[in-house]
Amino acid sequence: MGIEALAESLGKNILTTSLGKLVGWGRGNSVWPAQFGLACCAIEMIATATAGVDIARFGSEAFRASPRQSDLMIVSGRVSQKMAPILRTIYDQMPEPKWVISMGACASTGGVFNNYALLQGVDKIVPVDVYIPGCPPRPEDLLNALMILQERIKAQGILPRQ
Amino acid sequence: MISETLIVEKGVSAGDPWVTVDAPKVHEALAALKTEGYTLLVFLSCVDHLVDASRSWPARYEVVYQLRNMETREQLRLRTFIEGDPPHIDSVHDVFPPANWDERETYDMFGIVFDGHPELTRILMPDDWVGYPLRRDYPVGGEPVEFSEEHEMWQTAPDKA
Amino acid sequence: MTDTISRGVTVDRTGEAGAFGGELLTINFGPHHPSTHGVLRLIVDLDGEQVRRLKPVIGYLHTGIEKQMEALRWQQGVTVTDRHDYLSPPINNLAYALAVEKLMGVEVPPRANALRVIMSELTRLSSHLVWMGTSGLELGAMSMLMYCFRERDTILDMNEEISGFRMHTSYIRPGGVMADSTPRFLEMLDQFCRDMPGHVDEYEALLTNNPIWRSRTIGIGILSAEDAKVLGATGPMLRGSGVAWDLRRSMPYSGYENYDFEIATSDMCDCYGRYLVRIKEMRESIKILRQALDRLPDGPVNVDDRKMLPPPREELETSMEAVIHHFKLFTEGYSVPPGDVYVAVESGRGENGCYIASDGTHKPRRVKFRSASFVNLQALERMALNHFLADMVAIIGTADTVLGDCDR
Ligand code: SF4
Repeated sequence: MGIEALAESLGKNILTTSLGKLVGWGRGNSVWPAQFGLACCAIEMIATATAGVDIARFGSEAFRASPRQSDLMIVSGRVSQKMAPILRTIYDQMPEPKWVISMGACASTGGVFNNYALLQGVDKIVPVDVYIPGCPPRPEDLLNALMILQERIKAQGILPRQ
Repeated sequence: MISETLIVEKGVSAGDPWVTVDAPKVHEALAALKTEGYTLLVFLSCVDHLVDASRSWPARYEVVYQLRNMETREQLRLRTFIEGDPPHIDSVHDVFPPANWDERETYDMFGIVFDGHPELTRILMPDDWVGYPLRRDYPVGGEPVEFSEEHEMWQTAPDKA
Repeated sequence: MTDTISRGVTVDRTGEAGAFGGELLTINFGPHHPSTHGVLRLIVDLDGEQVRRLKPVIGYLHTGIEKQMEALRWQQGVTVTDRHDYLSPPINNLAYALAVEKLMGVEVPPRANALRVIMSELTRLSSHLVWMGTSGLELGAMSMLMYCFRERDTILDMNEEISGFRMHTSYIRPGGVMADSTPRFLEMLDQFCRDMPGHVDEYEALLTNNPIWRSRTIGIGILSAEDAKVLGATGPMLRGSGVAWDLRRSMPYSGYENYDFEIATSDMCDCYGRYLVRIKEMRESIKILRQALDRLPDGPVNVDDRKMLPPPREELETSMEAVIHHFKLFTEGYSVPPGDVYVAVESGRGENGCYIASDGTHKPRRVKFRSASFVNLQALERMALNHFLADMVAIIGTADTVLGDCDR
C-alpha cells in the first residue's frame, strides 16, 4: 500500500492521546498471567480460563509457563514456608512492569490455616496489587480483580510503580 | 495370628482390632504378619500422648501400623510404644516398601528415628526446619487473631490442651 | 563430584557415562512447572532424553492440616478436611464424618446415607473431569479442558444449590449432612444423569481412538499388578493394572453395598489403561447416581442427638433445654469417647483414609489422613524409569496426584 493510499484509508480518523494513556491502554488489555497454580484456588483459576467464563475477553488468556514472559502473577492458593522462597524467585524473574493478584483467603491472609506451615499472607514476600477474598473465589471474582487491575494499569501509564 | 509370645496386649477399639507389641519386636512381628496374609501396610503413623489423661500410657509416643489382608479384607492395627529423645524404632521399609515415605513423614513430624531407613530426611517441611511440628509441645503457630479466645491456648498446646 | 541442589537432597554426579556416549545429566523438574499437577518437584537423571533415576521431592504444599485439626473442635474440623484433597472435598468430609461416627457409635439415617453417596459420586465425576481436562491439556488436547470444565461447572452448580458453596462444600458432617436436598437440586441431578452419558461419549470420541492420545499413552508408564500391590497403590492406579479392588465394593460404607455397579479395571497397566478405567468409572458413577436418585428414601438427614447437632430453629424459641444444648455445642462442642479408629473411603484417586485418636476431650488428639496421592506417588519411579522425559508428563498426569492431598 502506498503512502497516499494509506493516508486515504485513514481518512480523517486521527487520534491524539498522551503516550502514557496509549501505553496504559496497551498494557492493560494484554496482561499475561504466569501459570502459577498452588492449591484449590488454582482449579478455579483454570476454570476462569475455560469457555464458560473466558478470561480471553479481557486479553489475559495467555497463561505463560515462563515467568519471563508474564506480567501478572496470580498467587492462587496457599503458600507454604517451603514454597515461599520459590515464589519469590519466580516473582524476581518476571520483568518489570509486573503485578500480583493474591487469590483467595489463603494467599491473602493464611485463610483457615493459622499455623506453622503456611505463610500468613503472601504480601509478606511480594507486593500485592489486588486481593480477592473467598475460599475459593468464584471465577467471576478473579475476572473482577483483573478488571480492577486493568484500571490501575491504565491509570499508571508509563510511570514506574510507586 | 502372630505367636502369642509377641503380643503384649490386644483389644478392639470402636470395631477395629488391634494388638500391641514391644518396640524392639516390631520388625519381627510385621514380617510374621505379612506372611500371614496382611500384605498391605495401609499407613504408618504416630500419636503423641503427652499429657493424655484418657488412660495410663506406657510411653509418650505410640507408633501405629495399619495392616490389611487383601484377600479376607481383615484389618489389624499394630501398636507399639516408645520413649526417648529422639525415640528410636526399627524401620520396616524392607518388609513393606510403602513404609519408606511414611517413615520419613513420621520422622519429619514427630522426630522418631527409624533405624535402618535408607534415607531418613525431612519430607514435608523444609530441610532446615527446626522442631517436629506434630509433637504436642510444638505450638500450632500462626498469628494471633483478634477476638479469638482460643488462640493463646493453641500456642501452648502441651499442658492446657 | 557432588552437587548439592538443596540441603538434604543431594544428587551425585559421578561423571557416569550414559548409554548414548554422553554423561548423565541431572535436571530439576518443578516445583513450578506447568505439567506437574501442582507443585511437585522431581530431580531427574537424564541419559540423553531418557530417565535413568528419579526422585520426587514433595512438601511444597504442606499446610499443617493435621496439626490444625488438633486445635479445632470436632465439628470445626470438617471445614479443614475439605481442603486437603481439593478435588474431592465431600469424600474427605465423608472419611472424617464416618470416623467420628464410628468412634461415637452413631448411625446416620438412610436418607443421609443416600445423599452422601450422591455427593461422593458427583465429586468423583468432577475430580475425574478435572483430571481429564488437565491431562488432555498437558498432552496437547486443549479442547478437552473446555469440554470437561463445562460439565464440572454443572456439578459445581449443583454443589452450590445443595450446600451454598461451589467447591469446599463441608456438606457431609459427623451426624449426617448439612441440610436436606432441595427439590431444585433433585431436578438438576435428574437432568444431569440424562445428559452426562452423552458427554462421556463425547470425550471418548475425542480421545479413545485419537492417534496422538493413543501413541502418547499406550505402553507408557507400565505398572504391573505385582508392583502396584507391593507399592501399595490404590484407586485407578491399581485398577488400571487389572486388580479389581474398590473400597466401595470390597469394604462397603454408607450403603454402597445396595447399589449395582461394576468395578472398572483394565489389564493394560499403562497410562491408557488408567484412562480407560477413569472413563468407565465415570459411567458407573452416573449409574450409581441414577439409582440413588430413584431410590432416595424419605426421612431425616441427621441423627437425632442434641449433644451432637444443634436443635432446629423453632425449638430454640420454646425450649430452655434446646437453648442450653445450642449454647454448649457452639461454645465448647461435643466430646468423643477415647479410642482410635481408622475409616477408609474410595476417592477419585484411591484409598482416602482417616485415622483418628481421641482422648475423650472436645478436640481430637490426632487426626491422620491416609492420602492416596502420597502412596501412589512412590510408584512414580517404577513407572517412569527408562522413559523419555516428555512421557513423564503423561505418567504424572495419569497418576493423578493432587499435591494438596499428598502434602496435607
Ligand atoms: S483460599 Fe481456600 S480454596 Fe484457596 S487455596 Fe486456600 S483453602 Fe484452598
